[in-house]
Amino acid sequence: MLTFTLRRLLLAIPTLLVISLVIFLLVDLAPGSPMSEIPLTVPPDVRRKMMEALGADQPVFVRYVLWLRQFFWVEPATLFDGWFGTNWAGGEQRILSWQSRAPVFTIIGQRIPQTLTVIGTAYLVGVMIALPIGIYSAYRQYSLFDQLGTLFAMIGFSVPTFFSGTLIIIIFAVTLGWFPTKYDTNLSVTDWPSFVKQLQQMAMPVMTLGLANAAVISRYMRSSMLDNMGMDYVRTARAKGLTERVVVLKHVLRNSMIPVVTVIALGIPSIFGGAIITENLFGVNGIGAALIGAIHASDLPMVQTLAFIFAVLIVSFNLIADVLYGLLDPRIRYD
Amino acid sequence: MKLKTALLGAACALSFAPAAFADRGTDGEVKFTFPQAVSIMNPFLSSGTKDVYAASLVLEPLAGFDADGVIIPKLVTEIPTLENGGISADLTSITWKLLPDLKWSDGSPVTADDAVFTAAYCMDPAGGCAQLSKFDGVAKVEAVDASTVKVTFTGPKPNPYTAFVGALSPILQKAQFAACQGAAAPTCTDPNNMPIGTGPFKVTGFTVNDTVTLAMNDQYRDPAKPAFASAVIKGGGDAEGSARAVMETGEFDYAWNTQIPPDSQASMTAAGKGEFVVAFGTLVERIEMNMTDPDPALPEGERSTAKHPHPFLSDIKVRTALSKAIDRQILSDVGYGAGGKPTCNVVPAPDAWASDNTGCIAQDMEGAKKLLDEAGWVPGADGIREKDGKKLHVLYQSTVNPIRQDFQALIKDWWTELGVDVELKAIDPSVFFGGDAGSPDTFQKFYADVEMYANNSDGTDPETYLSQYQCVNAPSPENQWQGENMNRFCDPAYDAKVKVLTTTVDVAERQKIAKELNDMVTKDSMTVIPLVHRGTLSAHSNTLGGVKINAWDSEMWNVADWFRVK
Amino acid sequence: MFDAATTPLVQVDGLKMYFPIYSGILRRHTGNVKAVDGVSFNIQAGETLGLVGESGCGKSTVGRALLRLYEPTAGAVVIEGEDIAKLTPEALRRKRPTMQMVFQDPQASLNPRMTLADIISEPLVEHTKWNADRRLERVYELMDAVGLNRRFANRFPHEFSGGQRQRIGIARALALNPKFIVCDEPIAALDVSIQAQVVNLLEDLQEKLGLTYLFISHDLSMVRHIADRVAVMYLGRIAELSPRDDLFAKPLHPYAEALLSAVNEPDPSLARRPRIILKGDVPSPARPPKGCNFSTRCPKAFARCHVEKPELQEVEPGRHVACFLYAPQTGSTGTSEAKEHNQQGEYQ
Repeated sequence: MLTFTLRRLLLAIPTLLVISLVIFLLVDLAPGSPMSEIPLTVPPDVRRKMMEALGADQPVFVRYVLWLRQFFWVEPATLFDGWFGTNWAGGEQRILSWQSRAPVFTIIGQRIPQTLTVIGTAYLVGVMIALPIGIYSAYRQYSLFDQLGTLFAMIGFSVPTFFSGTLIIIIFAVTLGWFPTKYDTNLSVTDWPSFVKQLQQMAMPVMTLGLANAAVISRYMRSSMLDNMGMDYVRTARAKGLTERVVVLKHVLRNSMIPVVTVIALGIPSIFGGAIITENLFGVNGIGAALIGAIHASDLPMVQTLAFIFAVLIVSFNLIADVLYGLLDPRIRYD
Repeated sequence: MKLKTALLGAACALSFAPAAFADRGTDGEVKFTFPQAVSIMNPFLSSGTKDVYAASLVLEPLAGFDADGVIIPKLVTEIPTLENGGISADLTSITWKLLPDLKWSDGSPVTADDAVFTAAYCMDPAGGCAQLSKFDGVAKVEAVDASTVKVTFTGPKPNPYTAFVGALSPILQKAQFAACQGAAAPTCTDPNNMPIGTGPFKVTGFTVNDTVTLAMNDQYRDPAKPAFASAVIKGGGDAEGSARAVMETGEFDYAWNTQIPPDSQASMTAAGKGEFVVAFGTLVERIEMNMTDPDPALPEGERSTAKHPHPFLSDIKVRTALSKAIDRQILSDVGYGAGGKPTCNVVPAPDAWASDNTGCIAQDMEGAKKLLDEAGWVPGADGIREKDGKKLHVLYQSTVNPIRQDFQALIKDWWTELGVDVELKAIDPSVFFGGDAGSPDTFQKFYADVEMYANNSDGTDPETYLSQYQCVNAPSPENQWQGENMNRFCDPAYDAKVKVLTTTVDVAERQKIAKELNDMVTKDSMTVIPLVHRGTLSAHSNTLGGVKINAWDSEMWNVADWFRVK
Repeated sequence: MFDAATTPLVQVDGLKMYFPIYSGILRRHTGNVKAVDGVSFNIQAGETLGLVGESGCGKSTVGRALLRLYEPTAGAVVIEGEDIAKLTPEALRRKRPTMQMVFQDPQASLNPRMTLADIISEPLVEHTKWNADRRLERVYELMDAVGLNRRFANRFPHEFSGGQRQRIGIARALALNPKFIVCDEPIAALDVSIQAQVVNLLEDLQEKLGLTYLFISHDLSMVRHIADRVAVMYLGRIAELSPRDDLFAKPLHPYAEALLSAVNEPDPSLARRPRIILKGDVPSPARPPKGCNFSTRCPKAFARCHVEKPELQEVEPGRHVACFLYAPQTGSTGTSEAKEHNQQGEYQ
C-alpha cells in the first residue's frame, strides 16, 4: 500500500505539471481582457499602461515560468517565513490578483473558512440525509418511501441551484423572514446568540446545496444497497438467523458503503472548490464566488491558481479514494 | 436645513453644527450592498465603479459635484475661479486652498504635500494609474505652502476641474503610500485595501471581493457627523438579490446598481420597505453606424477602414431610415423602466449641456420606408429591399446581455418591417470591450454594419467625450485598433469645432458648441443613433434618510449627512 | 418401525412459491411466475433426499422456501413439528439454528469483508451466550471438522480457493448443530476434482453428526452417489419421487426417463440406455400448460395429459409418479395425506 501510494504521488508530479501548463494556456487563450471591466471613459493609452503595470503584456511563456516559480517557490517560502520568521522568499513578488492587487493566496486564505463551513456543512448534511434515504429506499424497494425518495432525488438532480436557491430565499427570507438573504462574513461566533445567527445565515445555502448533494449520494447508496441486497451472503446472513437489523446494517450496508465512500471522497474537492452559483446567490464569500468573480474580470493569476489548486485536490482525492477503497475492501490489494 | 448643510459642505465645519442634528455616531450602522464586490479601495488602481464608490466613503478629493452636477468644495475653502483669482488669467494654472486644521483619520495633518504626492503617484509611468486622464495636460503640481496646492498645465485649460476633483481623483496620504509609487503600486496590498483618508469613515476591515467594514472617522472635519457609527459594504450576488435585500427583506439600507427588469421593480416597490432612486448621468445606449465597409471579402487590414466607405450606410438616407424605424419609448420601457428614458442625444445631460433634440423619439415607419425608396432601395420579391442586385443586409452586433438581446430582437422586427435583412450577433462583453487587437470581435474593430453598446461622458463637461469623434481617433491597423471613434466618422468641420471647444473658456459658449457637436454626430449625420438615456438605479430603505442620488460624483457623496429615520 | 421414527423430520405439503409479475405503466399485478406449484414430500431424519431437474425447474426455490428465505405463497413446511411457513419472524429466527443451508456459490455467499472466524462465529454470537474464547474454540472445532487449517481463521474469503470456501460455507452452516441442511447445488461452482472431496465431506459429516440433507443438484451422478431417495422436478412440480436405485434402474415418469438417459453410465459393461432427446423448450413458468406440465414435450402424451394435471401418486412400493400412464397402486381415492403415510410406511 505504501509503495503504491508513493508511486502514485510520484506520478502525480508530471501529471500536475502538464495540467498546470494546459490550464495556463487555456485560461490565457480564453477570450477577454482584464481591461474589459474598465469604463469606456478610460482612454486607450491609460489602458495600455495599466496592462503593462500588471505584467499582462508579457509573452505567455514568460508569465507561465514566472507563475511556476511563484507558485512552487515564492508562495511556500513566504508561508515558511510567516511561520518561522526566516527570509527565504527574499521579498520576491507573490502571485497577485489583477483585480484586487492582493496576493492570491491571501484571498484564498480569507475565503477557505467560509467555503469549508458552508459548503462542508451542506455536504455533511447532504450525506447524512442521503444515507438513510438510500438505505431505506433499497430495503423497501418500490415502496411509497422509495417512490418519495426517488422523487426527492429527481428534484435534487434536476432543479438547478439558482432556481431552488431563489425559491428558498422567497419562501424563508422574503415571506417568512426567518433567515437573512446575505451571508454576513464578519460574524464571529462568540456566544449563543451569535451562534444562532450563524446557523440562521447558513440555513439557506446549506439547504440549497444539501438537497443537491443528498440527491446524488442517496441514489448511489440505494443502487449499491440493491446490488448487495440480492447477494448470496445476505441470504447466508438471514439463514444464520440474524435479526434484520444486523443483516441490513452489518452485512449489506458495510459492503454497500465501499463504492459510496469512494463517491463521497471524490466529492470532497468540490467542497474546496466551493459552489459558484450558491455562494454567489447567498453572498457567501467562498472560493466559488472568488473564481466566478475572477473569471468575469479576466483576473488570470487568480483563475489559474484556483484552477490548479482544484486540479491538485482532485488528483489527491482520487488517490485518497483509491487508498480508502483498498482499506475498506479486503479483496483489493495494491501491490 | 439639511439641504442647505449639504450644499455648504465643508463650510459647515467652520460654523456651529445645527442643534437639530444628532451627534456623531448615534445612529448605529449603515449597511450597503453592491452586486459586484469591492476589490480594492484605491481608485487609482481600479476604475471599477464599485471600488470608486466604496473608496469615496474614505478618500476625498479637493472638490466634488453635487446632485445637479455643480462643483462643490470638499477639502478646500472655496472653488477656485477666474473671478476669485484661483484660476490664472491665462488659464494655465489653478490654485487650491486647503481647509485649516484638516486631519487624516490617523490624526496627522493634511498638507499640500499629500496632493503633490498623489499627482506624482498617479502620473508615474510604471504605476498603471487608472485615472491618468484626470491628470491630462498637467505640467506640474506644487505645494506653494503647507495648505496651498498649485496645478500648472502645459497650456490653457478651459476646464481645470479634473485633477483632485470628483471621486475618481481623491487625495492619498503621502505617509502611507510613499513606498508604493511606480512599479510597487500594485504590491502595496495593505494601503490599497485600507487607505487612510479624510472622509466620514475609515476602513476597519477589508475582505477582498466581499466585505468592507468601516467605522466613523473621529477626525472628520464636522464634529457632528457622520450620524452613523459604522458602515459595512457587502458585495456579491446579483442586482436582483441586492434589490431584494433592501426592498423586500430590509436587511440592508442601500443597494447600489440594482438594475432589474421593470416588472421586478414594481413588485419590489410594492413590498413597501424602500424605494428605488435613479441617477441620470450621461450614459446612453446607442447604435453606432459603421461608415466603412466591414465586408469579410476585403483583405485583412483594409476591412472596416477608411479606405472602403460602407456600401449603403454611407448614405445618410439609409441611416436616417434605420433610426426612424425605431420606437425608443418601447425600448426604454421594456429594458429599463424607471431606469431609462428615450433620447436622441449622445450628450443627454446635464440639462445645460444637452441639446433639445427630440425629433427621433416618435417612430416613423412610413417616413423611413419613403426614405429608402428615395435612396433607390426597393423591396424585392422576398420583401427584402435591394439596389443594383444587392440585398440590404445588416449585421447588427452587441454584447451578451439580456436587455441588449431584447433590444436586438425588437429592432430587428422594426427593420425587417422596413425591408431590411437583419443578422444578429451577440459577443461576450469581455471580448467585445476587451480591446484585444488580435480578436475580430472587439467593438473597435467593428467587423459589422452596426453595433450597440452604452457609453458616457466622464463628468459634466463633455469635451473629452465629444472629441472622440474626430477623424484621428478612428481605430485602424495603424494604431493597433485603439481609438474611440468607432464609426470612423470623419468630418473636418467637426474636428475644427472640437478645436474651438478646447480653447473656449466661457461656459455658456462651451455649452453651445457642445450641443452643436452633439447634433453633428446625431441628428445631422445620423452616425450615432442614441436609443435610451440610462440611469443608475439604486435602492434605499425607508429608514435611511439624507440620500440624494448623484450621477456626477459618487452616489455616496453626501454620506456624512445620511441618518437613520426614526 | 417405531412411531418416533415414522414421523419425518421434514414434511412439505402443497408448497407453492409464486413470484408476482407487475407490468404496464401502473405496474399492475398481471400474473405469477409459478416457480414452485404444489410440491409435497417428506424427509426422514438422517436421510438424504436428492432434488434434481433442469435449470429453472424451481428446485433452488424449493430449498429457499423450505428455510423461508422466501415467503412461500401457500403450503406447509413442518420441521420437527413446527410449521416454518407460519412462524413469527422472531420465532423463525430462534428456529434457524436447526435448519441451515449450504449455497451454490461459495464466493458470493460469504461476506467479503468478514474474516473466516467472523463468518463462522457470527451465528454463535447471535444464538448463544458464549464468550469469545468459547466461540473461537468452536470455530477451530468446525474448521477441523471440515478440514481447514486453523491458521486460516483470520483470512478473508477471497484468499481461499473455491473448494476451501465451500468448506467454510459448510463449517458456517454447522456452527449451531443443525439437524437439517439444504445443500443448494453445493458443488456446481467447483472444479470436478474438488466436487468429490466436498461431497465426501458432506457424507462424512452426515454420518458423524446424523444430519438430514436436502441435496439439490442438476448433477445426476453426484445425486446418485449421495442421495437415498430422489425427487425429479419439472416446471415447479415433482414428476417422480423414488428410491435412488429404483429410479436409476428404471425411471417411470417419461421426463425422468429422458433425464436419466443423459447420464453417463460409469460401468461400461452395462448397456447404455438409448438416449431420449426431448423436443421443444421448457414452457415459461409464468404460463404453464393447461394439463400435465410435461405434456408439451412428452413423447408419450395422450389426450388426457393436455387437459388434466396428474397428481403425484404411489404406483409401486415407495415410488411416486405424477403421470396418467400409471395407475395408483391402491386404486383408492383417499386423500393424498393418507397416501403419503401409507407410502412412507412401505418405504421404511
